[in-house]
Amino acid sequence: MENQEGKVHADNETTTFVSKSDVNDWENVKDDDIMQQQSAIHAEEAVKILFVGDKEPLSSLADEYKKGSPIMLEKIKVLTERYAAIRRSRGDGNCFFRSFMFAYLEHILESQDRTEVNRVTACVDECSKTLQNLGHAEFTYEDFFSIFLEQLESVLQGSKTSITSDELLERCRDQSISDYVVMFFRFVTSGEIRKRSEFFEPFILGLSNATVEQFCKSSVEPMGEESDHVHITALSDTLGVPIRVVYLDRSSCEDGSVNVNHHDFVPGSSTPTEVTAAASEAVNPFITLLYRPGHYDILYPK
Amino acid sequence: MAEDKYNLKNPAVKRILQEVKEMQSNPSDDFMSLPIEENIFEWQFAINGPTDSEFEGGIYHGRIQLPAEYPFKPPSFMLLTPNGRFETNTKICLSISNHHPEHWQPSWSVRTALVALIAFMPTNPNGALGSLDYPKEERRVLAVKSREAAPRCGTPERQKLIDEIHEYMMSKAPPVPQASSPQYPEEHLTDKQGDAHEASQSAPAEASQEEVLTLPVTERVTEEPREVPLNANPVQNLPQVPDVGSSTQQLFHNSQQGLPQQADDRLFTWAAVGLTIAIVVLLLKKFMKANGHGAVFMDES
Repeated sequence: MENQEGKVHADNETTTFVSKSDVNDWENVKDDDIMQQQSAIHAEEAVKILFVGDKEPLSSLADEYKKGSPIMLEKIKVLTERYAAIRRSRGDGNCFFRSFMFAYLEHILESQDRTEVNRVTACVDECSKTLQNLGHAEFTYEDFFSIFLEQLESVLQGSKTSITSDELLERCRDQSISDYVVMFFRFVTSGEIRKRSEFFEPFILGLSNATVEQFCKSSVEPMGEESDHVHITALSDTLGVPIRVVYLDRSSCEDGSVNVNHHDFVPGSSTPTEVTAAASEAVNPFITLLYRPGHYDILYPK
Repeated sequence: MAEDKYNLKNPAVKRILQEVKEMQSNPSDDFMSLPIEENIFEWQFAINGPTDSEFEGGIYHGRIQLPAEYPFKPPSFMLLTPNGRFETNTKICLSISNHHPEHWQPSWSVRTALVALIAFMPTNPNGALGSLDYPKEERRVLAVKSREAAPRCGTPERQKLIDEIHEYMMSKAPPVPQASSPQYPEEHLTDKQGDAHEASQSAPAEASQEEVLTLPVTERVTEEPREVPLNANPVQNLPQVPDVGSSTQQLFHNSQQGLPQQADDRLFTWAAVGLTIAIVVLLLKKFMKANGHGAVFMDES
């Protein structure tokens, strides 16, 4: 086809014709260089860490800090009391959403909780309406929604489209599915934040000095933008899924004891409060993420 | 459209076909865009020059290429009609890199991008790559010329589409306002100021000037409802309108570098002094904490 185009040019004598090389040369401007460079970086990263890694024992986490921080090692030891394994996600700015995607779908696959699937499907419908009310054209988001719902359906066993846990892992590593689901979460998160803008406004002001609208446009909807407690609160609220985030950093307590904090993001409770380990039993989120400054992975309780 | 030759399971293909459908069912007076017969990733488009600008009445054709990863990666734009604002046959610089705080978003569409492109035309190029800074008179001449014939490009199929789009746009485009240049020689002088002002507003700011210039014409044009369907939701298109300005800045980067203001220098000096003091205080705090006197500052238990 490209060659044909060239021939047509050659056969016609009109002077205003653009030459073949011009017609097909989309690579002559900086943007392409930048994009190529970016994808090269991504490819490099991809070799190192998959979108979603394999389940690893917590000892592999400890190995990372063998050479350095004794506080981290102490804290990981505390973690081992409650948690058995970790599953890493790629640090491409989408790690929170990607971890949430796998953890959630894996939970459904293992629990076969049809009530939960029905409940969340209703929430997704609601999110679609929210976006429409906010002025989004349906065609700009419907593909992302339908790909998420497809995954949700296939983790339920007993139908032709059902998948195993290995296949789920494969799908979450497949960019053409994984990125679409991440984008779905970004859409519903943005929708929730804008729908309840008065509630989120003070948190957003504290983070970035931007308006709610700007924040969603620059920090929620674009791929690769990292997530914060605002994103987590909004996602948890909009889908009605509680999320526990365990914080692991180098901070230590003044009395020398080592403690690992966690926050439970509980849908409906409008302010995410820090819950002590004992009191949080009532909530019991089935999704636990490990947060180290700038990155989220999946954590598996014992 | 030969839909069967594409893998409809491919999300990019699905999305693009949706956009084609949407473009056909909600045609705009300001632009038209459709893929060429043999490749739905290659689109032709034409936009009307924005009203109240020197592009008014012009019909500007161009090409769009959608990447395989669409809508995760942005479309590329290229103009074919000489216009005096963008070089022809050169890709228009889209702000997609991480060097810009805002970049392309999958929730945008060809429609969004075209609306932004129209709004971007009267802004100051500021020397951006692929931009031209022709004087307004020359741009007006090009606007008149742009109506005469559609540009010639590519296969007969592509040409047919270009001609169809041209015909459609001719039926929608307002006439080019008469430019009575001898009366207003100062227009060139005020060019720079006007442009700087425009860039910040992303809308032509010299509208008042224009009104004096071609009162009967502009009056007629401004009476027409100027709808700007950004995300094109025919049921309710009100909420999108405020988006246009911001999406313009997001889409087409306009590297604005304001001249450093001398008066601010002293302010910066004081700010630097203040910051230094703050850092010293923080360091002291940290020092105390490190020595075990930090009970006051503990933040975790």
